[in-house]
Amino acid sequence: MEGDFTVKVVSHPRYVDMAKCIACGACSEKCPKKVPSEYNERLDKRKAIYVRYAQAVPLKYGIDKDNCIFFAKGKCKACEKHCPTGAVNYEDQEVRRDIKVGSIIASAGFKPFDPSIYLQYSYSKFANVVTALEFERILAASGPWMGHMVRPSDEKEPKKIAWLQCVGSREVNACDHPYCSAVCCMYAIKEAALAKEHAHDGLDAAIFYMDMRTFGKDFEKYYEKAKGKGVRFVRSRIHTITEVADKSLQIEYVTENGVAMTEEFDMVVLSHGLEIAKETVELAQRLGIDLMPSNFVKSGSFTPVASSRPGVYVCGALAGPKDIPLSVVEASAAACAAAGKLSGARGTLVSEPEIPKALDVKGDAPRVGVFVCSCGINIAGVVDVKAVVEYAKTLPNVAYVENNLFTCSQDTQDKMAQVIKDQGLNRIVVAACTPRTHEPLFQETLQSAGLNKYLFDMANIRNQDSWVHTGEPEQATEKAKDLVRMAVAKASLLQPLNEVQLSVMPAAMVIGGGISGMNAALELARQGFTTHLVERDAELGGNARLLRITAKGEEVAPYLKELTERVKSESNIVLHLSTAIKNVDGFVGNFKTTLAGPGGEEVVEHGAAVIAIGAAERRPTEYLYGEDSRVKTHLELDSGLMSGAIDPKKTNSVVFVQCVGSREPERPYCSKVCCTHSVESALHFKEHNPDCQVTVLYRDMRTFGERELLYKEARSKGVLFVRYGVDHKPRVAKAGDGLTVTVRDHILDRDLLIDADLVVLASAIVSHKDESLAQMFKVPLDEDGWFLEAHQKLRPVDFATDGVFMAGLAHYPKPIEEAVAQAQAAVSRAVTVLSRKEMWLPGTVAFIDQKKCVGCGVCWTVCPYQAIAADDKGLAVVNEALCKGCGTCVASCRSGAPNLRGFTTQDVMAQIEAML
Amino acid sequence: MFARRRFAVLKNLMEYAGIEPGRLQFSWISSAEAQKFQQTVVSVTEAVKALGPAKHMIKDIRKVA
Amino acid sequence: MSEQAAFQPRIAAFLCNWCSYGAADLAGVSRLQYPPNIHVIRIPCTGRMSPKFILQAFRKGVDGVWVSG
Repeated sequence: MEGDFTVKVVSHPRYVDMAKCIACGACSEKCPKKVPSEYNERLDKRKAIYVRYAQAVPLKYGIDKDNCIFFAKGKCKACEKHCPTGAVNYEDQEVRRDIKVGSIIASAGFKPFDPSIYLQYSYSKFANVVTALEFERILAASGPWMGHMVRPSDEKEPKKIAWLQCVGSREVNACDHPYCSAVCCMYAIKEAALAKEHAHDGLDAAIFYMDMRTFGKDFEKYYEKAKGKGVRFVRSRIHTITEVADKSLQIEYVTENGVAMTEEFDMVVLSHGLEIAKETVELAQRLGIDLMPSNFVKSGSFTPVASSRPGVYVCGALAGPKDIPLSVVEASAAACAAAGKLSGARGTLVSEPEIPKALDVKGDAPRVGVFVCSCGINIAGVVDVKAVVEYAKTLPNVAYVENNLFTCSQDTQDKMAQVIKDQGLNRIVVAACTPRTHEPLFQETLQSAGLNKYLFDMANIRNQDSWVHTGEPEQATEKAKDLVRMAVAKASLLQPLNEVQLSVMPAAMVIGGGISGMNAALELARQGFTTHLVERDAELGGNARLLRITAKGEEVAPYLKELTERVKSESNIVLHLSTAIKNVDGFVGNFKTTLAGPGGEEVVEHGAAVIAIGAAERRPTEYLYGEDSRVKTHLELDSGLMSGAIDPKKTNSVVFVQCVGSREPERPYCSKVCCTHSVESALHFKEHNPDCQVTVLYRDMRTFGERELLYKEARSKGVLFVRYGVDHKPRVAKAGDGLTVTVRDHILDRDLLIDADLVVLASAIVSHKDESLAQMFKVPLDEDGWFLEAHQKLRPVDFATDGVFMAGLAHYPKPIEEAVAQAQAAVSRAVTVLSRKEMWLPGTVAFIDQKKCVGCGVCWTVCPYQAIAADDKGLAVVNEALCKGCGTCVASCRSGAPNLRGFTTQDVMAQIEAML
Repeated sequence: MFARRRFAVLKNLMEYAGIEPGRLQFSWISSAEAQKFQQTVVSVTEAVKALGPAKHMIKDIRKVA
Repeated sequence: MSEQAAFQPRIAAFLCNWCSYGAADLAGVSRLQYPPNIHVIRIPCTGRMSPKFILQAFRKGVDGVWVSG
């Protein structure tokens, strides 16, 4: 039951002792049995003793019993003979354990659809028809052809590739998959764009699709960019592939204006969809959670990560087709939901990791270790890493150099720690990506090897070299050498630093009282933290006050009422209505925010903040909006339907116009929710008045995921869908008492005239572009005014600035369930700060050499953080807790008394010297 | 703030020391402005390229520093 | 003219970790291509930028200095 589950877990035998295996690979090398590799989509071979892929965690080998010669015939034992640590154990048994937990999170994921059942695609018959996942492996550096793009039949580089969309999605004849898989349009564009980069002398890439569904943040721009790069987009669903003599493939299709075409391609990639595996369905049954008819786990829009069984949560593609960012959001959200009721037990089973005491390296001659990363082909594809390695060996103080495929992988980290000890290294340089993302990881490795983590520097040879000088490999290699030389010069001078300890204020601030903000505040309160909920309006609710139903058909108003009441009665929430943010001081763990409300100004202390300020519906300037009251926006339609001002029974004809202000040069993004909203509204009209003529004018119907079922239903109920091109926009005109909508039918190439009682505009969702709030919290906005996350795929609710998180429409337009999930995710992330009693601040702070200080006071005047003051002798001292390490004091002192740890004048001078 | 003022003064000083103003460039780019970064690199590189190799300053100016 | 085109200047770029250095990383992520002449030195903030660094760079023979916050 919820809060107290006993889970029976079976660990299958792997026939290799994980404690003894050092992943040297000797066993696999000697194993005589070859098996198609699942990881490379069976395009190449692995052995019967193997690791699934090079970055596997933990990196330990295992025997595939079904393919092992010893298990079949009783002899061989080659692996046992060659294992240097005696790790192979043929007697290994399965282990059954009972684990007691309070909550369960199901994240068993999806299975890529197997297109063999389609006879017309001949996937299992034609060598050069591959799935998108196979193509992904073909492009990968660790794939069967080491990243060389070749087709399977003759291993020659293809000159022409076709992608076929919706294979196993939006299809009920060969498979029972009426839903849209939501991710295939984007991955097909990505593959096409990457394939073009991989091609040595040009590639003709064509994507055959029904609707291009690039609805995510920055996806539409990516789509436009791909068009610019020459990727062809053909709106047609392919019904047959035939093979010609040289194993190339012939495709027949019909163009938009009805012309039948035949085209030959060297290769065809099937953009196969997502489905739930049979085993996963069985797992769901054992867990006792309900599934949708599509086999995705059933959840509600207001509780997106809760399954039907209390205490069992769900995230990722198991709960519906979705991409990486949303899966990551849901993962954090599920962690938040699962921890909510268990917050009292937080930390009770924790044991502190042991960090070995750092060695004293003061006075020792520098012994620099240089690790040059290939980053797959990200670096090695441009920079000659071997040459960089050889060059690094010649540099002063360098004691050790090696090259890694992925320096950041767990096994390389373990090895690095060992090398540091074995080689007695006391300064480390990693030439790889950017310190902004990877410095903490490598610093941890230094610590585990007994080195102070500040004895480290990075040479940014990926983001600032190989990625930006792709066409100039020689110069990029020279630059990589220069950057390594500069980093080694700096590293040689680095000294160990100590960190400052700070307490954390266990309170949070949530800005914005819409659905996202209220959910965030409630979850924070439930986890035991005082939460200040700041709303600029006089009442809570935001845009949801004007929304009728969700895509799953749940009514919004009753939920909103209940949510608001819970917020108002929650004792841990301090509500600040009609209140604005005036100023923000401080930093992670210790923010001091000035609020301006009806009662005057107030300073609130908090350790973390969630920005959930939402977005707004754009007021259209086109289609007679504002001139004729029968032209309405979506929110106006919903309000009208809820109040009864709009009565479907009295409406004879309604026309929905999509993309009003979205996907335009001025706003080059998709507003994501409007297609679904139009379809669910169209159904509402049809339901209450089957005779009502409902027409939807669209560019691409973007009813992603299970929303596709609504679109299907609408078509079956007689809703008319007419596509228009962006250069032939519909026109709305007054005609007598009514309205007439004119639209160019692209198949007939003629204008259609539709009489309408009501025209509903899918007006774009626009950001508040709140630059002042962004500046106060020191977080970025993108060019459309959405708050910019730290990493679009992997850190979708974080900012680069610690302690500040985001949720809801402030990030990008999204439906309610995604907003709620993001709110829960932001709470999860905020709690990682708030649940700590203290934090450690970086050691890169200023210090004053008092022998040189004359007490002139320039430094404490210029310090932007008021971190410097005069001591009793009138000389400057730094308050390390307040110092943010900007170095302004160092640059302004005439006597050279201050210096900045980690960025000393000597460090920078050494880099300048090494540059030439 | 202080940095901006300091740079304004420095630019004059550089000119006095014989460094063409085009060789020393300042800009302000936020971490989200990748495009602006790229454009600035291009324009800075072109400006310096147009001036040709630096000749005037390669002498000991430690007293100035 | 041809001599001008062949001249590859060396430019010291002092970039603020939080602003321009981040933009440079993002330019990489976006695969925006630019000439390889700049050599980046990461500084915590433009406030750290001592005139000494600029003078030293010119003295050592760079052809240009770019400071970006």
